[in-house]
Amino acid sequence: MAVEFLPALPPAISQPAMFGALLVLGLLAGEAARRYLSLPRITGYVIAGAALGPHGSGLLTDNLLFDLRLLVDLSIGLIVFELGFRLDFDWLKRNRWLFATAVAESLFSFWAIYAALAYFGFRPLLAAMAAAIGTATSPAVVMLVAHELRAEGQVTERMLLFTAVNSVFAFVALALLLPFLHLEHAASWQRALLHPLYLLAGSSLAGSVACLLLLRLAAWLGKSEERQFVLFVAMVVVTVGVAHALKLSVNLTLITLGMLSRNLDRGHVLLPLRFGHGAQLFFVILFVLIGASLEFSAFDAVAAAMVAAFIVVRFLGKGLAILLLGPLSGIRPGGAGLLSVALVPLSGSAVVMVHDTVSFFPAFGKELATVVLSAVVVLELLGPLATQFALRRAGEAHPDG
Amino acid sequence: MDDMSFAASAPLSIGIELELQLVRPHDLDLSRGAGDLLARLGRRKLPGAVKPEITESMIELNTSVHTRCAALAAELDLMRRAVVEDAGLLNLRVSGGGAHPFHDWSDRRIFPNERFLYIVERYGYLAKQFTVFGQHIHVGCPGGDEAVYLVHMMTRYLPHFIALSAASPYYQGQDTSFQSSRLTAVSAFPLAGHMPFVQSWSEFLEYFAKMRRSGIVASMKDFYWDIRPKPEYGTIEIRVCDTPLTVKRAALLAAYAQALAAWHLAERPREPVREAYLFNSHNRFEACRYGLGGEIVQPYSGEKKKIGEDILETLDALAPHAAGLECGEPLAEIAAGVRAGHSDAQWLRARRRARGSLADVVRDACENWERGDRK
Repeated sequence: MAVEFLPALPPAISQPAMFGALLVLGLLAGEAARRYLSLPRITGYVIAGAALGPHGSGLLTDNLLFDLRLLVDLSIGLIVFELGFRLDFDWLKRNRWLFATAVAESLFSFWAIYAALAYFGFRPLLAAMAAAIGTATSPAVVMLVAHELRAEGQVTERMLLFTAVNSVFAFVALALLLPFLHLEHAASWQRALLHPLYLLAGSSLAGSVACLLLLRLAAWLGKSEERQFVLFVAMVVVTVGVAHALKLSVNLTLITLGMLSRNLDRGHVLLPLRFGHGAQLFFVILFVLIGASLEFSAFDAVAAAMVAAFIVVRFLGKGLAILLLGPLSGIRPGGAGLLSVALVPLSGSAVVMVHDTVSFFPAFGKELATVVLSAVVVLELLGPLATQFALRRAGEAHPDG
Repeated sequence: MDDMSFAASAPLSIGIELELQLVRPHDLDLSRGAGDLLARLGRRKLPGAVKPEITESMIELNTSVHTRCAALAAELDLMRRAVVEDAGLLNLRVSGGGAHPFHDWSDRRIFPNERFLYIVERYGYLAKQFTVFGQHIHVGCPGGDEAVYLVHMMTRYLPHFIALSAASPYYQGQDTSFQSSRLTAVSAFPLAGHMPFVQSWSEFLEYFAKMRRSGIVASMKDFYWDIRPKPEYGTIEIRVCDTPLTVKRAALLAAYAQALAAWHLAERPREPVREAYLFNSHNRFEACRYGLGGEIVQPYSGEKKKIGEDILETLDALAPHAAGLECGEPLAEIAAGVRAGHSDAQWLRARRRARGSLADVVRDACENWERGDRK
């Protein structure tokens, strides 16, 4: 006898239930990492994700991860927006060496990675793409570690600034490399030129339009923290959705929105932004999902040397630029070294970038994937530790943080 | 008791200490940039000194000793420029004002040096709540007895200094309804208040010795009085002023203190009486709460008078002494401000009304200080 009021067995787990469960598990793992191992909470989230993911217990399947992709974009969108919103052009104008150092930091790490990969025999285009991806520091990791430690000071400020600059550098460099990729796959030169143009111009335009809208709406809503908070979140969500739908770069669009909102707001209609506890929800789920998408299988013994080289030269490139030019921009000598360490986390967006490239150019992406994805695996685990170490050592973490 | 001998100083010389707010531009809350900023400023050749204060959100400017207010103002302006320039390189902003309008005192971090760590250990949360910003004015005295006399005399004028400098209407995100809320944070300390009614330096030394023997104080620094003698500098130190919103106003206040001291030392218009202290806390409260509009009881006549009026009358009485000190012009400026009913606290409230948020108030206050004169 069929009993209609009982669910079919096994019961279908809805997405909200899945979302909640991931959140709870991530939260517990994060707290355990913190309490028993003194690791950053992020490391706990990532490990929980890896354990649940397709390469772990398999509870989270690839399909499910794909369905949750928008959630990842949303979380990254919020973080990248907040990062852009911290970036004050006035500071760069007042301290020109600072901007020079930030640009040098991007260039040095790009060339260092490029040279290392070329040495290992990668084709120039491939090496350049991996180098572009590797230049970016993870906005999510540095923001979250800084939040968690309630860190404040010159190393923290500059870490966020350099992350914003090297993220933009990475997106732009990657877009500029696209034509060569197209041409290698015998696409027409029109198509080869239009693609990066569409990505760069489209993303900055979308970000700018969203910024103007945000400023107008905020002016009309008035200076209430609650109303502006809702507006911020709403605008970020809409903009992520639009960027997604138009196949633009979510990162570039949102960082544009953040930077312009800070720097075009000459009448100061926007209040300081405090995402606070609400943002924590997104952070937890983001890192659980990043953990789940880590591809341990990409890792093999042959690649290990290359991956190690990738990580080491990337660090050396960043460090060299900061140690050479940093003192001119007024950072204390010890601070320069710690800043280089703080910038170690590799952008989780690298996974997305790699997947995007794979989806456009399947054969090509696979080669790129081995090195980059393995580096992501290593740095997703080491990166938060490095940043936490640097901020603590610099004395910038809050005593209770 | 050698360390308590009253040092020689040029009579009527002036110098000031100014505690400043270090603000982070991105959310306009207090920052913790003191360590980095001090390290940078330490490499400059500045006429005065720049020092740490109890929390990492503050620095203190000390001018050198001056005999003329104009020179003091010029030096302050030089220091302001240096501080603003170096702060700019570190993405910090600098502001005057007696209190940050909305910081949360529990977020503050103690500047790690021996004395400050001792204060935290001793006073607990009072230490972090002490992240308020004052101006101290030193006036040189010929000797200890004169210093004791001047401390008693100047006590009568403390409400003037409170009202003229008041710049802390907001505290912990709220409008306190006070013009200066800062002094309330000072009053919480057990050794706040005023000097006991001693008549000479030797009598003061007896009192101090008794306090030290009983282990209550170790040095003069432990007294948080509104005004105190400072034997190591050979000065009296007026400590009730909020840091004004501009260096210009800070220099005006010093000129007023100098002229008052000149008048009293030259003419000895009154002698100290114990009764004068009866009205002290009432008058202090009126000044903090209502500023220039507060009503104080005259300690000698017992009559009530508005503080603004009392200042104008005092300025008239001072006039003959101002000329010799070349401070006629600054005193005229103070008088004009009093007549116009101006105060920094009112200006801050006006900014709040015009702009709609306390973050905007902080930004405008920073702009003011960084420019050196009010908009």
